[in-house]
Amino acid sequence: MLEIKCPYCGKRSQNEFSYGGDANIKRPELGKEVSDREWDDFVYFRKNPRGMHLELWHHVAGCRQWFKVSRDTSTHEIFKTSKINEEL
Amino acid sequence: MTAISPLEFVHKKGIFGDHHKKNENELLQISEVKNLIIIQVVQYKKSKTSINDVKIDGLEFSEKSSHVTSNKQTRILWSAPRTWLVLSNKENIFDTIKSNLNERDFAITDISHSRAVIQIKGMQAKEVLKKGSPINFSEFNVNRCSGTIFHGITIVIDLISNDPDTFNILTLRSFGESFYHHITDSALEFGYVGV
Repeated sequence: MLEIKCPYCGKRSQNEFSYGGDANIKRPELGKEVSDREWDDFVYFRKNPRGMHLELWHHVAGCRQWFKVSRDTSTHEIFKTSKINEEL
Repeated sequence: MTAISPLEFVHKKGIFGDHHKKNENELLQISEVKNLIIIQVVQYKKSKTSINDVKIDGLEFSEKSSHVTSNKQTRILWSAPRTWLVLSNKENIFDTIKSNLNERDFAITDISHSRAVIQIKGMQAKEVLKKGSPINFSEFNVNRCSGTIFHGITIVIDLISNDPDTFNILTLRSFGESFYHHITDSALEFGYVGV
């Protein structure tokens, strides 16, 4: 069980949260001509690294806010969390 | 308000669980809180109004996480950034809020019908909640609230007194029956009075 520090509520148990995927993914610019390959990369392809990973989490049972987490995918150590509009 | 409360046909009065040779006055008390007005107040992202200038029933909207401001009839719970829950016994509280907060800056919604509210009171109240919730209750003080889970059900816990520990617990109306059974099952070990 992970203990995750929500930037708004403080340290809480993992079962209050929901994992929201890779935080590095950026949607292609609106109005820009986008190739099928770029859409594929955006929608489907993820890096799945072993080690430090930037993730999105949602405090679904608490303040219902999205935030960023940097976590080691092999040890599950959480290095830092930040609000969604802040740099990690 | 609807005449039928969420737990009207679920909540049973009487003494249950391990109450033998125990003082009835020291047993846990579990009751349904009825006719509570619950208003959700959300400040829009683009709003530049300061909430610090606004008072409802003499109470401030605290911007401090998990903090509650309260008086005898009304409690204002911090629910999320720029989001509060106003719980009150005052029938005109909705109009009071509407007249104090500009509709261009705030979304004000009456959610009284959509929540079931259970009150659990007694020295063992925290022990009951510990069975299903991951919150650290040893750091949970009066006038603190928290959104969390209890056996997988999303709830809001509000500690209104610690003499003895008295919690108001809000959950979605449709989860009310299931939540009630989880709470009462957890309380059987200590014995409880359904009030």
